[in-house]
Amino acid sequence: MSIAKFLLRRFLQGIFVIWGVITIMFGLRAVSPGDPASLMAGEGATAEIIEQVRVQEGLDQPLYLQYIEYLQGMMVGDFGFSWQARREVSAIVIGRIPATVELAVAATVVAIAIAIPLGVISGTRRNQPADYSATMFSLLGISTPNFWLGLMLILVFAVWFGIPYPSVGTSSLPLSGVSVPYPSSVGLGMVDLPTGRRDVSFGVAVSALVFEQSLSEMGTWLRHITLPAITLGTYFTALITRLTRSGMIDELGKPYVTSVEAKGLPSVLIRYKHVLRNTLIPIITVLGLQIGTLMGGAVITETVFNWPGLGLRLIDALHDRDWPVMQGIVIFIAIAFIIINIIVDALYASLDPQVSDE
Amino acid sequence: MTEDILRINDLSTRFFTKEGQVNAVERVDLNIKRGEVFGIVGESGSGKSVTALSLVDLVESPGEVTNGSVEYRNEELAEALRDEYPDAVDGSFVDLRAVPETVRRSLRGASFSMIFQDPESSFNPTLTVGEQIAEAAEVQRRARANPRSTRAKTRGVEYSFSSYLASAVLPSRKFVTNSSRERAVELLEMVGIPDPVKRADEYPHQYSGGMLQRAMIAQALAGEPDVLIADEPTTALDVTIQAQVLDILADLQEETGMTIILITHNLGVVARMCDRVGVMYAGEIVEQGRLEDVFENHVHPYTEGLLGSIPNLDDVGGRLQPIGGNVPSLIDVEMGDGCYFADRCPRAMQECLEKPPDFDGPGGEEHVAKCYLADHPYDETQALSEEYFESAGARVTDRGDSAGASPGEVSEDD
Amino acid sequence: MISDRVKSNLKDTFVDSLLPKVGLVLLIAILVMALFAPLLATHDPTRTGHFHETGAPYPPMGYSYETQVAQDGEFGEVSVESNSTHVLGTNNIGQDVYSRFLYGARVSVIVGLSSTLLAMLIGVPIGLVAGYYGGRVDDGLMRVADTMLAFPALVLALALIGVFGESPVHVPDPIVMAGFADGMPETIPIPGTVTIVGALVIWVWFARVARGEALSLRNEEYVKAAQSFGTGNAQILRQHILPNSLTPIIVLATIQVAVIILLEASLAYLGFSGTTLSWGYEIERGQDVLRTRPWVSIVPGIGIMLAVISVNLLGDWLRDALDPNIDQSKRGA
Repeated sequence: MSIAKFLLRRFLQGIFVIWGVITIMFGLRAVSPGDPASLMAGEGATAEIIEQVRVQEGLDQPLYLQYIEYLQGMMVGDFGFSWQARREVSAIVIGRIPATVELAVAATVVAIAIAIPLGVISGTRRNQPADYSATMFSLLGISTPNFWLGLMLILVFAVWFGIPYPSVGTSSLPLSGVSVPYPSSVGLGMVDLPTGRRDVSFGVAVSALVFEQSLSEMGTWLRHITLPAITLGTYFTALITRLTRSGMIDELGKPYVTSVEAKGLPSVLIRYKHVLRNTLIPIITVLGLQIGTLMGGAVITETVFNWPGLGLRLIDALHDRDWPVMQGIVIFIAIAFIIINIIVDALYASLDPQVSDE
Repeated sequence: MTEDILRINDLSTRFFTKEGQVNAVERVDLNIKRGEVFGIVGESGSGKSVTALSLVDLVESPGEVTNGSVEYRNEELAEALRDEYPDAVDGSFVDLRAVPETVRRSLRGASFSMIFQDPESSFNPTLTVGEQIAEAAEVQRRARANPRSTRAKTRGVEYSFSSYLASAVLPSRKFVTNSSRERAVELLEMVGIPDPVKRADEYPHQYSGGMLQRAMIAQALAGEPDVLIADEPTTALDVTIQAQVLDILADLQEETGMTIILITHNLGVVARMCDRVGVMYAGEIVEQGRLEDVFENHVHPYTEGLLGSIPNLDDVGGRLQPIGGNVPSLIDVEMGDGCYFADRCPRAMQECLEKPPDFDGPGGEEHVAKCYLADHPYDETQALSEEYFESAGARVTDRGDSAGASPGEVSEDD
Repeated sequence: MISDRVKSNLKDTFVDSLLPKVGLVLLIAILVMALFAPLLATHDPTRTGHFHETGAPYPPMGYSYETQVAQDGEFGEVSVESNSTHVLGTNNIGQDVYSRFLYGARVSVIVGLSSTLLAMLIGVPIGLVAGYYGGRVDDGLMRVADTMLAFPALVLALALIGVFGESPVHVPDPIVMAGFADGMPETIPIPGTVTIVGALVIWVWFARVARGEALSLRNEEYVKAAQSFGTGNAQILRQHILPNSLTPIIVLATIQVAVIILLEASLAYLGFSGTTLSWGYEIERGQDVLRTRPWVSIVPGIGIMLAVISVNLLGDWLRDALDPNIDQSKRGA
């Protein structure tokens, strides 16, 4: 089977799964206790609005008609209308994508940049101090809840080290909301941004850099993203370190390594061109699956740091019982997850010559 | 008489495992002559493969070469190292155990190369066969291009991490050059791979076992080595393919005049290929000499047992005779002080409880056996008592007629 | 079925290495805390020091203040920092941090175990049946599994809670009922929805592992032999397939307990667990007073971390010792 055929099959499977995802979300709405119309109208809607929603959304129709309509809407990217925000859900989702993507990418970059060298060191120097430290670090990393880690980072950097608050991320932590009647030894100088806004996006920072040769926007962006990226990336750093370590150990024990050594190849090439490369191939698949954890982690990290991405909006929607926004974001995240996994499979197929032949 | 190319003295390799210290190679002495095919033969677990790996310093943790010298004749190398390591250089011989690891590494591929037992697991599955052979050719090309390379390498100058990073961006900085790739195709053609240009771009899983073993030979020859160490080169192959691979090896040896150390448990392969043979048992070379001497004038009862275990062609009714008992565990504390074979030996005597020295055998002057029988004939009055075998039997299980280890076609070596 | 070889392997790997021992000690400590929380606690964990609504100012470190003790309507001295009465201090509303830490362990352990058990009860039979029968049943299950896996676990859990709401279940506390611990709450609120939602999120992993096992076991000689004797499929599944596929399922279950503990904490932190007696919720509460009373968040965070570490260490040990084909990619989450 060729790579193209393999990918085509994965693509068709992906479409099937997306259909399943949409169906499950529709099913959830149908089986939800209570009236779907009042669910969609959101918390505190008047009876009049609920009636209006019922008619407008076709909720008075038989279930199968509703389902067909729902599917049709999804196919053209119509995620519905939020009666709370009084906006198209798709517009809300699109507006929140960049922040989440920036955060996820930054966390992944941090994770890969730290974890792979650490895993290689740990795997090639087994049972030495470096290996023990890396193993301990990764054990802690996979066991620490990331919202707690985020808070601890804020505590250490903002509160104890007294680094001015905006430099460690944008947050609406009620730290600032509470009146503090006693003398404050730590000048926090906090900005309480309303959820959904931030100073500088990556795009703005880059355009400032390119068109105005101004570094300050980029600096602001970096200051804001550092702690959230560390918070979100720690689990991944730990996981990839663990995987790289055990993968390196497995791989180094294989007969081909002796054979490569016997031909006198420089050790750098043995370690990276042969061993690390083969170690990374299975890791890529695991990472594809773990992107789901990354997305779940993003929801929490965004909440801790008031990062105006999809996750924070999802939580807001849940608190407001804003069903259309909630299901729109959930479906979007699931579709993104499926697409990323197809891309990962393509990457995998291109790296492992045996996949496309199986 | 041709000159020696390798002089191995007192070589010992130990594995430090949880169960205890394992003496995989025990004080081995061997001289290998330039241009000969030297066979090392023995049962599974007798230490043949570890001996081979010890020669090229590829024994992996928890194993370690603990003792002995491996002297390698190479005028050029001796000259380059004479000033820096006067103790390691003796005439045109260099003691490889006495020079830094970087020097030993630099000799891999160019001076010594290896063929492994299982070609399928000895190639990296994710790189093309051509690329992997080209790597070996490239190692040699770079060594040639820089005549002072041996000297440079003693200082640890190698392809660095930054060059590797650069090669990821700049194709021109890649380690493997086009000329090496072309060389890889030539090598594949030389070992009889049809359509080598196309085959070079294929991955190991697209090759058959026999073709892959030929590709491995091509890879081993890419460095034009002085010494080729072939560790069970035919074990994993079908019988018909075995013959082809041996033919290729024999032809190439004739063409290039390289020295081959052939490690096998297959006496047929030994008889067909080797000039001289060393018989290995429990980490020791128990008997060595010219092929005829070992096959016809053997002294050591173990050698006899080995040969006896091949079905005799002259006597069609003869059945395969297994040697009673199993190869000992090689764990240091269990090994005792006597001859390691005594507990399986049909002609063990009292004196065998003390380790026999090397005696000259009845064959030519190079015929040596680690057995008192080479010195004086068997004396039945001195035979070891039954109690000895019983207590030994507790240690070495299965003494008697178990066919567990019959070396004519013994199970493959570890 | 656990063979002797497996048992000795378990023992050897346990004796040889330090980490499983650390894991076991931690696990026992947490189980003891959870089990005997009413006996170990010094205060009623739900008893507040003052009404948040009154707007009583949060005193800084080193201060204490007169305030109304909520339940009894008395006034009393409530201290903020750790002292002899409140070993780990109090939180924003004057509750004892140490006692809440113990009760938090209770909720975590109960949710972690019951949710995993529920997931096993759903996933294992489905997986075994799919793997054993193969064909359409199997295809159908795998498609459902793929779809479930397309949702990030936390996102799916949030969606389910968004639909079904949060309903805590008040379980009577036997120790208090028996009269051994006066003044402790008579019921413990268990986040019921979270338990069920957790199981709905992770059952797929059990189904997948069980399916894989059944798929390979159905070709075993003894299964074929049983079939040829005319043994019913249900009996074969119960007598041969299930016992022989238990090992990887147990390893998976261990790891999934950690996943559930983290999931519960996350949901509680986000305010969707329906109970306030939870480590995750406590961390969220401590966020308000992070500067003045950092311990309110620090203490329960350490609890979550230790619980997850202990389960992960034991999971690693079991996996290494039993060596079933569960790799990191099947960790779930």
